[in-house]
Amino acid sequence: MHLTRSFPLLPALALGVLLSGCYSRSDMKGENRAAEPAVTETVPPAETPGAAAPTETPAAEAAAAPAGTGPLAQVNVFLEVSGSMEGFMPKTGADAANTRFQQHVAQFLSEVNRSSAARKTYFRIKEKPYRDSYQQLSQTVRGGIQQPASSTDIPTVLDTLVTGYYAPNSVSVLISDFIYSPKNAGAIPYISTDITDALNRTRRADLAVSVYGYASDFRGTYYPALKSGPKKITGCCDTAVPYYFWVIGPADAVRRFDAAQLEKQPAQQAHFGVKYPAPPTSLLSRFQNVGAWYYGEKDASKRTAGASYHTVAISKVSAKEPVEFVVGLDLQALPGLYRDLNYLKANLQLQAQDTDAKIVSVFGASDQTKNSSGAENQYTHFVKVRVTKLGAGARPVQLVLRDQRPAWVSQWTTKNDSNINQTGAKTFALSSLLDGVEAVAGGEQKAPVFTIPLTLQPAD
Amino acid sequence: MKGFFRFLYELIGTPQPPSETPVYREVIFPNVGLLTIGLSLAMVLIFYYLINRAMGVATFNKLRHWVIFLVINALLAFFIGLWQTSSQEVASHSYVYWMSTWNAILGLFWFFLFSVLLKRGSTNASTTPF
Repeated sequence: MHLTRSFPLLPALALGVLLSGCYSRSDMKGENRAAEPAVTETVPPAETPGAAAPTETPAAEAAAAPAGTGPLAQVNVFLEVSGSMEGFMPKTGADAANTRFQQHVAQFLSEVNRSSAARKTYFRIKEKPYRDSYQQLSQTVRGGIQQPASSTDIPTVLDTLVTGYYAPNSVSVLISDFIYSPKNAGAIPYISTDITDALNRTRRADLAVSVYGYASDFRGTYYPALKSGPKKITGCCDTAVPYYFWVIGPADAVRRFDAAQLEKQPAQQAHFGVKYPAPPTSLLSRFQNVGAWYYGEKDASKRTAGASYHTVAISKVSAKEPVEFVVGLDLQALPGLYRDLNYLKANLQLQAQDTDAKIVSVFGASDQTKNSSGAENQYTHFVKVRVTKLGAGARPVQLVLRDQRPAWVSQWTTKNDSNINQTGAKTFALSSLLDGVEAVAGGEQKAPVFTIPLTLQPAD
Repeated sequence: MKGFFRFLYELIGTPQPPSETPVYREVIFPNVGLLTIGLSLAMVLIFYYLINRAMGVATFNKLRHWVIFLVINALLAFFIGLWQTSSQEVASHSYVYWMSTWNAILGLFWFFLFSVLLKRGSTNASTTPF
């Protein structure tokens, strides 16, 4: 990767000079892969003198650090400062009231600044990213945007992030309202394709995107995505307006950044391509167990502290004498979406053969389970399974959490935002944007969030 | 060995509650079985070889003396059952007492068996119990 990047540096620079300033979607589509490094080089026109170009160095640093452990090598925060964002960051008025966006983003920036990541860089995104210090960017959030950009094009921004700021063990966070206005109505069906193309241009194999959605009060001019209606709505809005944090980077880095920085606050979330280690799980033979079954493991009698069991040996089962067993899951390391009981209830599946085993309930830890002296005190969630029929031999059973698009995405999506006060806190074509992300980061077949292998067997 | 004790102790039914089955089969049955056999053997040796041979006690060789040892042996076997189940911290269930009672009965059997096998080596009690 280093060779291919550094080798065509000279022609790339030359091209970069030629191409700088012509940063548009038509460029992106017209260029072939040979011209790619040119874009990389044009990206960081750092406004602060002496600021290093963040493209090459972090990659070298991060390559040395083993992925998966220790602090992240680099966190890049990008704040969109186009005119449409002004309503989130109104200039402080006489009443000195701020918006929830200002409160939240200022706090987030401060948390990133305090985080253990080796390097933290801050950018304002206009038509290109401009390097800011933490103080400058925080001031922009608190005091309002000084020179708003006319508009920013989301595919271009995403392309910039993936091309220029993608490095092992590093993430980029893009803060924006993600209102993507295509040039004309005819381009609307291609929104998801535009996003896919932008993210896919450099073909990052382990690209992952986490989307966190929030809503804030909004005081300013709202620019609807659809050009057919009013161009702008001044004095907006009576309703809250959504804004999003997109965390973009290698799957492992995104997972760790999410866990460290974004899981503290409640938010709507969706994750694409992020992979999670299998959560600790175990059967619980002394917790709400019903019927004649026991751990089928050979060493179950040792009852080692902290041991986990995944084999159910059933000595007697019938419709009259059903067997019920509970699987304890420790989902602490997963993001809030996958810990949400409603999500779990809808998307946990039991895949089994020759048995009618099915999930009867999914519930979270209570004070009682947490304070119990039994093994259930280690687990945050419980899945109760009932069996009344069993095959002749040992059968594998899988408890699978499907990775489904959470329901909020469609609820936060609108096809027409020209009447935002009536539409409510929705974003134009949000689900199309996420379709585009999913096509790149989700992979061909969506892998389940986790799979817990269990075995059902007749007792010997 | 485990299979033998499992067979012996599951004559009265499978362990209860079922979730404790692995502990009973792998740990408690072999422990209790071996301890009870050892206890019965020791009691027989004490009765026939210590009291009625080495110590040369002449007044403790009647059937009623043998029965005293038999009953003590059974009581100890019962407590071995309680002791082992409680030390393995199994879930409390009336099965614990059934199993211990069954072990007391097995204790009677082992004591009788060892008596028949070993009584001939005793000087004073070679014809006890018969």
